[in-house]
Amino acid sequence: MSLVTRNVIIAFGITIVLAGTIAYVVNYLNNARIAELSTIEDQISIDTLSLDTQFSLLETAPCDTAASSSALTSTLADLGTRLSYAENQLGTDNAQVVRLKQQYSLLEIRDYLITKQLATACGEKPTTVLYFYSNAGDCADCDKAGYALSYLRNTYPNLRVYSFDYNLELGALQTFIAVMKVKNDLPAFVINGKHSYGFTSLDDLEKLFPKGSLATSTPSKS
Amino acid sequence: MGYEMLAYPFLFLAIFFESFVLVTFLSKPARAARSRASATTTPSVAVIVPCWNEAGTVAATCESLLALDYPKELLEIILVDDGSTDATPQAMARFADHPQVRILRKENGGKHTALNAGIAMTGAELVGCLDADSFVDSAALREIIPCFENPKVAAVTAAMSIHEPGNLLQHMQNAEYTFGITLRHTLASINGLYVTPGPFSFYRRAVVLELGGFRHGHQTEDMEMALRLQREGYAIENAPLARVYTKSPSTLLGLVKQRTRWTSGFLRNVLGEYRGLVGTRKYGVLGMLILPTSILAVGSSILLFVVMLATLGHSLITALQVRVGIPVTYAFLPHPGAFDWFYLPASFYTLLGVVTLLTSLSLIVIGKRVSETPGNIGLGLLAYSFLYGLIVPLWLIRATADVTVGKNRQWRG
Repeated sequence: MSLVTRNVIIAFGITIVLAGTIAYVVNYLNNARIAELSTIEDQISIDTLSLDTQFSLLETAPCDTAASSSALTSTLADLGTRLSYAENQLGTDNAQVVRLKQQYSLLEIRDYLITKQLATACGEKPTTVLYFYSNAGDCADCDKAGYALSYLRNTYPNLRVYSFDYNLELGALQTFIAVMKVKNDLPAFVINGKHSYGFTSLDDLEKLFPKGSLATSTPSKS
Repeated sequence: MGYEMLAYPFLFLAIFFESFVLVTFLSKPARAARSRASATTTPSVAVIVPCWNEAGTVAATCESLLALDYPKELLEIILVDDGSTDATPQAMARFADHPQVRILRKENGGKHTALNAGIAMTGAELVGCLDADSFVDSAALREIIPCFENPKVAAVTAAMSIHEPGNLLQHMQNAEYTFGITLRHTLASINGLYVTPGPFSFYRRAVVLELGGFRHGHQTEDMEMALRLQREGYAIENAPLARVYTKSPSTLLGLVKQRTRWTSGFLRNVLGEYRGLVGTRKYGVLGMLILPTSILAVGSSILLFVVMLATLGHSLITALQVRVGIPVTYAFLPHPGAFDWFYLPASFYTLLGVVTLLTSLSLIVIGKRVSETPGNIGLGLLAYSFLYGLIVPLWLIRATADVTVGKNRQWRG
């Protein structure tokens, strides 16, 4: 075997090894992302259950834990951002991503219900936004609407934004959509119970919010 | 993802080629070349300096040649004024009485005619060429001569780097030239060179005459001569310690013009008269690997650039569309926060690109060490990393378009 042939074979081997190593690293990172998301979801699941259990034990709303409920919503928002990134990296059809999204949607619904219960029992008036989107290619304005909502959530930390993939196959979510009477006209928003469809601009979106709700200070108790 | 798939084969090819260079660099012939013994003979040498409007640099070029460490009686310098219209004749006149220097003035006919005129004036065993914008290290010739001890060797190339790089573009070129030192040294060890650059390449005069002298070669007479030597079965060597410094374009336009000439010359020669070398086993590694890879590299660099532009353009347009109407302070300013590995953009495509770049940088560092070229290459590595991939496609696209439509450009202008 000539020197050149030998070197070509070695170089080819090195290329295969390098490409294989890169594939392994990318796969390892993606698995680590999934594991991270699972861990966060597990923690949120425990916190949600804990809050739920407090309700049952006290047979009344644990109003002093309202702060921890708010922190939970914030963790949920962070999880949503991570999940969205993982979805971009791994694809919307990835089985693990779909499973995590289902779990995430369940946690969101749970958190929304608890928030409502706490609000009623403790006399709070939180501003909640239910946002329904689709990434099946049939919602041209969903990316813009999602970004505008991210801006609002970052600017007004007291907003409670819950994002749902309208087409996600999950019994609880479909029931939630039916109960909330949300039409398949996306993007759709339910802001403190009021429905609106479509997205034109941030200004128009802001007009949908109750007066005074877009404030950086903590909402006042009645 | 879709666009990126197109780039994968070419990124694999780049990694494969760089790995091949690294493995060959570590192989026995390249190691032997690095520890080559001094010459046992001292042949007569003539260095031809073809000039066309080089008034500003020809004197310094000539001075550097006169400072070469070589017996004076065996070294002659032939300054050929190829019909300059500036003060080149006056600059040359300074050396008129120097016993080692001969001056020839002729009508403008192109660099190849100047070289042939110089060769016709000398009876030296070896003839070298030094562009009038280049300067040699005093030990350079001593490094060149031992390569000719092998009778099959008809030409020897030197180790080029940029003379006093000033701006970022020149530092980038310096890194690129230093990459070229590794490449030339390594490929010479398996006879894979297809260019004998203007700055300080040497030839056996008898072989050059036997082959009919230099030709126009689509404005790349150095490449045409190297390809002709290879076709006729001669070997081309490299002396990695023969350091030569050449001036480089300081503007993007100047660089693109220079490289368009080189690239279109390469394409015209290799796809034209020397097409028979490509893919032919008889021509060894040059025919089977180097030339096919080099041709493919032109196409793949353009494709990678287009893919990158398409990917970036698509991301940019999407990002802008999404951000319309959102306050600038949120939409376009970074949101500082602690490093989070979760968002590390480590895709297969990105990491392949990073590996390709890191291997290129290591080949540059190797080139600097092998040639013992003085100076700091840090800025060059930085400029190479961030600029090179964006600039190269400019001349590749221009040259490919020129060759496709049959457009010929002036050497300068």
